[in-house]
Amino acid sequence: MDLQNLAYALTQLVHNFGAVAVVGGALLGRWPLVALPPIRRKLAWLVLAGWTIQVVSGAGFGTISYAYYRQFPELHDIAFVALLVKVACAIAGISLSVAYLRFQYAWTEPRRERVWSLLILLGVTALSAAAFLRWFA
Amino acid sequence: MNAFKPLTFLLLCLFLSPQAYAEEPSVRILSPADGATLDLMAENRVKYAVVPGPRGDHVHFYVDDDEVAVLRQLEGSYLLGSLLDGEHELCIKVVNKNHTPIGIEKCISVLME
Repeated sequence: MDLQNLAYALTQLVHNFGAVAVVGGALLGRWPLVALPPIRRKLAWLVLAGWTIQVVSGAGFGTISYAYYRQFPELHDIAFVALLVKVACAIAGISLSVAYLRFQYAWTEPRRERVWSLLILLGVTALSAAAFLRWFA
Repeated sequence: MNAFKPLTFLLLCLFLSPQAYAEEPSVRILSPADGATLDLMAENRVKYAVVPGPRGDHVHFYVDDDEVAVLRQLEGSYLLGSLLDGEHELCIKVVNKNHTPIGIEKCISVLME
């Protein structure tokens, strides 16, 4: 088995589950099955972990390329913009989930719902940008 | 004697595997020729043929070090956009699925007049 492909595949696997966490966690946070604050708090941790995984595994793709070829991926204009969008979403996603964990009990319910909606929007935007990054690079 | 049969089979599998038969990865720019002079007003196409090898996936096309296209056909042509007069470097690089150049590439220079 080619170790390089294995490294890319495992990184992709982690990246995909990170994507599931940021979108799925935010959806459940916005419309929870049981709207208890401790459960939403766990979901906020899940979303934070998801975004962190996205950042680390995303950097992992570049690291593997550099390790094998001493080169980073070369991206076309559209793909580069898509990458910037993903990075911006990750920064915003991490900031918002940290803010939620910090201020959850001080915020009003409408405000908490707005934050969850924003987290959904960030996740969906990053997923959409990923498609352009994949095919326009 | 029978003990050698599995070993012989394994060796045959190894040497007759698709990778053993695969062509060496390469990029050929069929036209224009290196150093050619191209008509600024003409429709100029770059014809190429690529063997990506086991680690390559598709190719990127570069004009003066700027990536201008992603080519997924391994053999074909690419219509050059409008270029300013003067000398330009055209490169085709084989990249992997992560869009990283794997070191198989061909560059030519052309003069636009």
